[in-house]
Amino acid sequence: MSELAIRRGAAPALAVEGLGYAYPHADRAALADVSLEVAPGEFALLAGRSASGKSTLLKAACGLVPHFHGGEIEGRVAVAGVDAIEAGPGELAAVVGYVAQDPETQVVSTTVAAEIELPLELRGDAPPDRARAVEEVALALAIPHLLGRTVDTLSGGELQRVALAAALVTRPRLVLLDEPTSQLDPVAGDELIWLLRRLNEEWGVAVLLAEHRLERCLAAADRVVAMAAGAVSFDGTPGEFLAWARAADPALTTPAARLFSLAGISPLPVGVRAARRTLEAFELAPSAPPEPPPTTVPHPGKGEGSRFRPPAAAALSAVAVWVELERDEQPHDVLRGLDLAVGRGECVALMGRNGAGKSTLLRAAAGLVDTVAGKLEVPSGLSLLTQNPSDYLVRERVGDELPGEQGMAALRVVGLEHAVDADPRDLSGGERQRLALAIALAGRIDGGELPGLVALDEPTRGMDRARKDDLVDLVTDLAGRGAGVVVATHDVEFAAAFAARVVLLGDGVVIADGPAAEILSGGWYFATEVARVLDLPGIVSPEQGAAALNGEFVTHGATNSPLEEPP
Amino acid sequence: MRSALAYTPRPGALQSASPGAAVAYLGSFVVVSFLFTNPLVLAAAGAGLVLAGLIAGAGGALRVALWMGVGLALPIAAINALLVDRGETVLVRLGHWPLFGQVDITLEAIVYGAVMALLVAVTIVAAAIYSSCVNPDRVLRSLRPLAGRSALTATLVSRLFPVAAADAARLRDAARLRGPGAAEVGIAPLSRRLLAGSLDRAVDVAATLELRGYGLDPRRLRRRRETSRFDRRFYCVAALVLAAGIAARVLGGNGFHTYPTVELTLGPETVALAVLLVLSGLAPLRRRPRRVRRRSSSALAPALEAPHV
Repeated sequence: MSELAIRRGAAPALAVEGLGYAYPHADRAALADVSLEVAPGEFALLAGRSASGKSTLLKAACGLVPHFHGGEIEGRVAVAGVDAIEAGPGELAAVVGYVAQDPETQVVSTTVAAEIELPLELRGDAPPDRARAVEEVALALAIPHLLGRTVDTLSGGELQRVALAAALVTRPRLVLLDEPTSQLDPVAGDELIWLLRRLNEEWGVAVLLAEHRLERCLAAADRVVAMAAGAVSFDGTPGEFLAWARAADPALTTPAARLFSLAGISPLPVGVRAARRTLEAFELAPSAPPEPPPTTVPHPGKGEGSRFRPPAAAALSAVAVWVELERDEQPHDVLRGLDLAVGRGECVALMGRNGAGKSTLLRAAAGLVDTVAGKLEVPSGLSLLTQNPSDYLVRERVGDELPGEQGMAALRVVGLEHAVDADPRDLSGGERQRLALAIALAGRIDGGELPGLVALDEPTRGMDRARKDDLVDLVTDLAGRGAGVVVATHDVEFAAAFAARVVLLGDGVVIADGPAAEILSGGWYFATEVARVLDLPGIVSPEQGAAALNGEFVTHGATNSPLEEPP
Repeated sequence: MRSALAYTPRPGALQSASPGAAVAYLGSFVVVSFLFTNPLVLAAAGAGLVLAGLIAGAGGALRVALWMGVGLALPIAAINALLVDRGETVLVRLGHWPLFGQVDITLEAIVYGAVMALLVAVTIVAAAIYSSCVNPDRVLRSLRPLAGRSALTATLVSRLFPVAAADAARLRDAARLRGPGAAEVGIAPLSRRLLAGSLDRAVDVAATLELRGYGLDPRRLRRRRETSRFDRRFYCVAALVLAAGIAARVLGGNGFHTYPTVELTLGPETVALAVLLVLSGLAPLRRRPRRVRRRSSSALAPALEAPHV
């Protein structure tokens, strides 16, 4: 097909017919009889649980499957008329861009400008054309200020934008993204999604985006394709998808959809704006609670009208803590006189944008970085699980990682006592995370009593909702056993599910600290979808929102009732 | 944490120069150092390089290089003193050692070891300035049309090195965070884990390279002539240093022998070469932009400059 025909959109951006694929030495097929078509300029969302085949489908569309990974493939995949099974990823790079989950391994050059220019250079574009294309894509993605920087000085969000720029610089017809927001804070994640939407509208590039946090991107999508067990289980508009998911797989629905579903309102909203419009159209106004919800969480470090004072039985006590780290060859204060206290048995979500100091606080508490001033104490011990649980797993048998009675006690705490003889690599992602936590806990359990503080740093990256629910149970159980639990997270919905208290960090200091319902309903970025829809103090979960709508909402002359029987 | 040896973009003349010019300039110091054993020439080459590194803003890289140089120099000097018993000035007789035989520490062996250590230090300093100031992307871009596979390997390695370093730091942290009841992690399991992780990382990076089009026909590559207004300066200084070094060597300007006794002669050609080497370290100097004083001829100027009330 000619270049001109491709540019005019004669061929679909992606056409998949009867695609089946199995990785080498795999027991079962990763894809089975997948057929779908993405039209030029379409924004399609790929939904589904973990291991449903989303990533494999994206890899097949960019030629990595089977050219790079091997395995057996059948069926047909064409990108803008180019046969992806015949052509290699390099040939396909002219028509398709691919952005994966981990930005670290998606850059291959030292400087940003060279990284973006590389695909053009390798396909033989002339230097002036390359220079112009780099400039234009940098402007489109608002990163011209990064061009002269080295990639190892960029934040996760900046690195993800650079990877996107390198994928877009060839002006592809289709861009594929595999959970690109999983490592970003809510601000950077939202910015990336709407940037994609803008590029989709202005450049006409088709987008196929795989994502777990659908509430973040459903409103931007034209269409949703759901996958289950390697096959397409649904294909339709976002509104139709929500109706389908409510019946077929409720774990795939968004919080706003669950809110409407529980309240018996239809149609289910694809985003905050749609939800508000529905409520306004039907003149439904959830009544605000008569008074702000009472603060049920003890605030050990914040007495009313008093200065900060650490509690008597604190699991964590930080008084005027300063931590200095090096950034861009310059010393930089990451924590700036931070005060915080966490009591035993508390469930605390530590939130804030990337670089706010969340991980640094946990690392300082664990002794991995030194404080330069102030007092930071964990009087009854700390077990910290860092962002990548696989880092803890160095042996080939669970029992070898955790020998003896102390090891078995730790395995019992996380519910993995049955897996003593298993190879950690054979465990599921959630089980590996539990094993890593058991390794951090081992020997710190005194007669069934956990260490004073258990901390988890970004534990929900790349998790689907079912696994997050399991993690909520685990965290709640740990707190129930007396440990103070602090989880650093960007995931507001997860924070609303497990935390009784939210501490919001900004630029190294605590900028908000209070009950989760209060903090997560009082902002925009660090607020749940339900809170953004209803804008009521203290209402953050679909259940709370539905109660407010069902029990106490006021109708003002609604003529067309949206209410329906809940499923 | 970022290594001080990693390339850092700065607006210096050395950073702006093409890789060829920078390599020629830094390489000329190293070549002259290998032509001479005269400590004055070696010290001058080292001083010139340190000056060049400081002007180029590579102070951090110089610090690391000097530490590495000292770390290597001391063992070299010590081992040479222990193994070589040439030289007439015996400082200490250590008697008969198993495997070594009679061990005598001579002044000449110590001096020779120190000179070799100085040569190693000069080479390390030059390499550190190169690493900190020369953009590896430009080097690889120059290399790609000439040796595609080597460039691919170099690209993979240059990316994997910082990724593996970050992985190693994370694994060390995780090892420190293990509970006292978990199995201890020694160097061997940690290294195995790092190696396995690096292989996974290599696969990911290789996939990215594939997606960028590395598998395409290398004949497509169109070279960009990357020159800088500083190139001529660096090439000229490199040529001058090399020519002066060779001339001084031909004229017998080394003037240094260690065995059987230390003899140091400082002829005019040796001194001139040393001065030239130190002065060559000024080559990365970049003239500061001249501030233009605005002198307004407008009669309204004083009024315009007056503060608004």
